[in-house]
Amino acid sequence: MTEASMIGLLVATVAFGALLYLAALGELISEKAGVLNLGVEGMMAMGAVSAFMAAHQTGNPWIGLVVGVLAGALTGLLHGWFTVVLGAEQVVSGLSLTILGLGFAAYMGKNVVGRPPGAVLAPVDWGPLTDIPWAGPVLFGQAPFVYLAVLVGIASWFVLSRTRAGLALRAAGESASTADAAGHSVVGLRLCAVGIGGGLAGASGAYLTLTLTPQWAEGITAGRGWIAVALVIFGAWRPGRAAVGALLFGGLLALKTRLQTFGVDFSPILLSMLPYVSTIAVLIAISVRARNRPSPAPAALGTAYRREER
Amino acid sequence: MKRPVLVRRHRPLRGGQPLAFAVGLILALAVGAVLLMAADHEPLRVYQRMFEKSLGDQNAWSLTLNRAVPLGLAGLAVAVAGSMGLWNIGAEGQILAGAMGAAWVARIGGTWPGPMLLTGMLVGAVIGGGLLALVPAMARARIGVNEIITTLMLNEIALRLLQWLIHGPWKDPDSYNFPLTPLLPDQAHLPTLFGRAHFGVIIAGAVILVFGVAASRTAWGYELRVAGSSADTARYAGISLKRKILTVLLLSGGVAGLAGGVELSGTADRLTEGISNGFGYAGIIVAALALMRPSGVAAVALLFGAVQVGGQSIQIIGVPASVSTILQAFILFGAIGAGVFVRYSLRLVPMGVDASGEGEIAA
Repeated sequence: MTEASMIGLLVATVAFGALLYLAALGELISEKAGVLNLGVEGMMAMGAVSAFMAAHQTGNPWIGLVVGVLAGALTGLLHGWFTVVLGAEQVVSGLSLTILGLGFAAYMGKNVVGRPPGAVLAPVDWGPLTDIPWAGPVLFGQAPFVYLAVLVGIASWFVLSRTRAGLALRAAGESASTADAAGHSVVGLRLCAVGIGGGLAGASGAYLTLTLTPQWAEGITAGRGWIAVALVIFGAWRPGRAAVGALLFGGLLALKTRLQTFGVDFSPILLSMLPYVSTIAVLIAISVRARNRPSPAPAALGTAYRREER
Repeated sequence: MKRPVLVRRHRPLRGGQPLAFAVGLILALAVGAVLLMAADHEPLRVYQRMFEKSLGDQNAWSLTLNRAVPLGLAGLAVAVAGSMGLWNIGAEGQILAGAMGAAWVARIGGTWPGPMLLTGMLVGAVIGGGLLALVPAMARARIGVNEIITTLMLNEIALRLLQWLIHGPWKDPDSYNFPLTPLLPDQAHLPTLFGRAHFGVIIAGAVILVFGVAASRTAWGYELRVAGSSADTARYAGISLKRKILTVLLLSGGVAGLAGGVELSGTADRLTEGISNGFGYAGIIVAALALMRPSGVAAVALLFGAVQVGGQSIQIIGVPASVSTILQAFILFGAIGAGVFVRYSLRLVPMGVDASGEGEIAA
């Protein structure tokens, strides 16, 4: 294994990690407010296709990013409307959102399949920092999305655990009636969280089509939305732990295409099972431990709230 | 100033669910029409073709019935778990596991006579689907691990197991490196009923019927509903929750697995990555629209089968098949939206007045 290929692996680990982390943070915020959204894959696809098309039209990748975020947020708010406002089953609505998002994205993007990108978001130029051995390419040779993911991660940790707004949001996810009694609008908080969650999934999708694989094809999200859902659990609903998980799972995605070059005789397909297997293991471990201490999952996760029925 | 408030009705609106379903269908067709027009297609022409190719003649019906088989079995799998308040999101993976189980039997029993091989394949399919549900079932029954995420994760795991098999040990040596297994032996195909319709239609119909009767006419079904509505009541009545959870989730997995076996032997000829085509996820929508009732599952599966077959038929006139995916999702969203008004009515309440009292009296 050469140094260059090792650095290549680490660069890809951080890049894939950020891709997963953006979407996982969105799901985390949504779940913290009590809304399980299994539509991540659909929101990502909508973000990916919209960002690509906007960049294709305007030639400006930043407009692509903004449009991708908005598309993800709007798609997410559809879930919010049905589950938070109308009180529909979150599982059913979320899965339908995945189906809808994938179908809609395929329909929207049918004319730009395989087209060259109008613009890409290239790595940020950090000047001399990029020349530092190892750390240069791995930390400072990355696309803007990576730094965006770090910023959003820190911001979510800070807002969720250190501010009143974060407390209110968590209250909506732990005990909606308590949050309501404290004068917060549960519907407003949850819609906000779902919208932000959708926006971040959209950003993750935009990362795919503006930087990682700068083109649009049906199925480009390739199940990464499900890994994001898994990451929230793997990270025990904490932004910091989710970041560690994102690097681990990102490393697996990066390793998948490199096993052969490293001379490892193991099926890359079987390797890609690991995120899902480990998430099941973590879930079981959480439940076993839950006999002694409370589960890290938001208590009201998955339940609708109607003030009239409290 | 007045604000709108949803107040629970004394009892759900009669005939409300079919009505909500119809609203969903109309909404979906309307949204679809807008999308079609935006891409310069004529909605009426597209819908007419979809209808003719899915329900227009005997051949069309046979295709729709074939499509309704995996959708109905997957929907039933979700509904069986759902009637006890459990979510089996893993039907997609269980279908794949079922197809793998059936393919495995076909591999070892390639020389067996037809009836024996077919029976073996279907049994293999049920066992395969059940095996995939085993971990979520045990984890839920024994230590209370939420089954939603475990079953969901196993979808991805099963897909990768399948990919590994068809890229590796089970790959057809004559496939020019395409990831697929050799064709099934001739006697491994389900007999044809009419047109393209195969015997799986009868199997699915029978299984749905049996579960329908079991759910509504037997003590087992009654216990299931009791356990689903209140764990405390169930415990008080001496129903063993752990055993119920275990059997229901395993049964659910087995039924979804059967869908995979029937699909393999009825329509697919060989194992490929696309053997399920999202039937497991669509099955969740089917079960939700059917309110977790087996009889409803059959009806909704037929409609979704028609939408899917119709969706494929419009590709020839240049309309992407994704239109049918969008239609299916909007049928559900429309029905969810309308379904709220089956159970609730919209009232305008003066600002500052809490409507909670009213809701409680009504409930």
